[in-house]
Amino acid sequence: MKFGIYLLALLAGAALSVEGAIYGELGKSIGKLESSFYNFAVGTVIIGIVVLFLGKGSLSYTFKAPKWQLTGGFLGVIYLTILVIGIPIVGVGLAMISVIVGQMAMSMIIEHKGWLGSKATRVKKEKIIAVLLMAVALILIF
Amino acid sequence: MSILILLASVFGGIFLSAQSSINGAFSKKAGTFESTFITFITGAMILFIVILFVGNGDLLKILEAPKWQLSAVWFGVGYLFLTILAVPKIGVIAANISTVIGQLSMGMLIDHFGWFGGLQVSFDIKRLIAILLMVIALRLIYVGNMKAEREATANVQE
Repeated sequence: MKFGIYLLALLAGAALSVEGAIYGELGKSIGKLESSFYNFAVGTVIIGIVVLFLGKGSLSYTFKAPKWQLTGGFLGVIYLTILVIGIPIVGVGLAMISVIVGQMAMSMIIEHKGWLGSKATRVKKEKIIAVLLMAVALILIF
Repeated sequence: MSILILLASVFGGIFLSAQSSINGAFSKKAGTFESTFITFITGAMILFIVILFVGNGDLLKILEAPKWQLSAVWFGVGYLFLTILAVPKIGVIAANISTVIGQLSMGMLIDHFGWFGGLQVSFDIKRLIAILLMVIALRLIYVGNMKAEREATANVQE
């Protein structure tokens, strides 16, 4: 049972790479920004339907939340647009490794500083070594 | 040129990580689907304005694009749902690490076979070593996170 769940999480990651690869191609025909827009616009419709039928939270909290909590969309746009531009030039593998290095390094800093609502925790030395190893991997295949 | 792309992609990862913390904070009160919805709708609004003023592509070509290219949005949504499904069962740490492994392996496969018509990059010994380093790094992150989690629960019990 547990094994099945791990497999689902693996598939989730595979889906991210497939998504990037396809958008790289779509970007060539309709434009990079336009591809990103397609994703966010159609994604909004899909998730909108999901929220209507399965949403248990409170959408109205949006207007009460601190404004910094509303910047996720902006960050997501930058992320996806960089991928759409980058993947046709460096390939999916290299783009994904770079993204992962950035992600891991940043999450370490966020935790260490206790930013963005997280609790400040001392960074373990394992994680520092891990990020360094990832950087080596990136340089190696560049 | 490609070094710039790599640097930009590292920044992409930095933004993504910030986004997931921010959405994590927001979703505590708003809900998971609702938080995703707000992310998508603000993203669409921002890009709409940007495209109006600086877009030089052709959005209408979307109607002519092959449908399999349009299916990418389902992979993005699929990722979200699979993650939402997996996290409560195996925990954030294990779920994230499995996701990254899936992402890397699939990325290498797509490159090697040139799937979806993109750039083709053959798998070689360097890429193999890189993958091994990544796996070791992920193992270390897993160990580090588990330690931190154990300390956190120990603190709560005190």
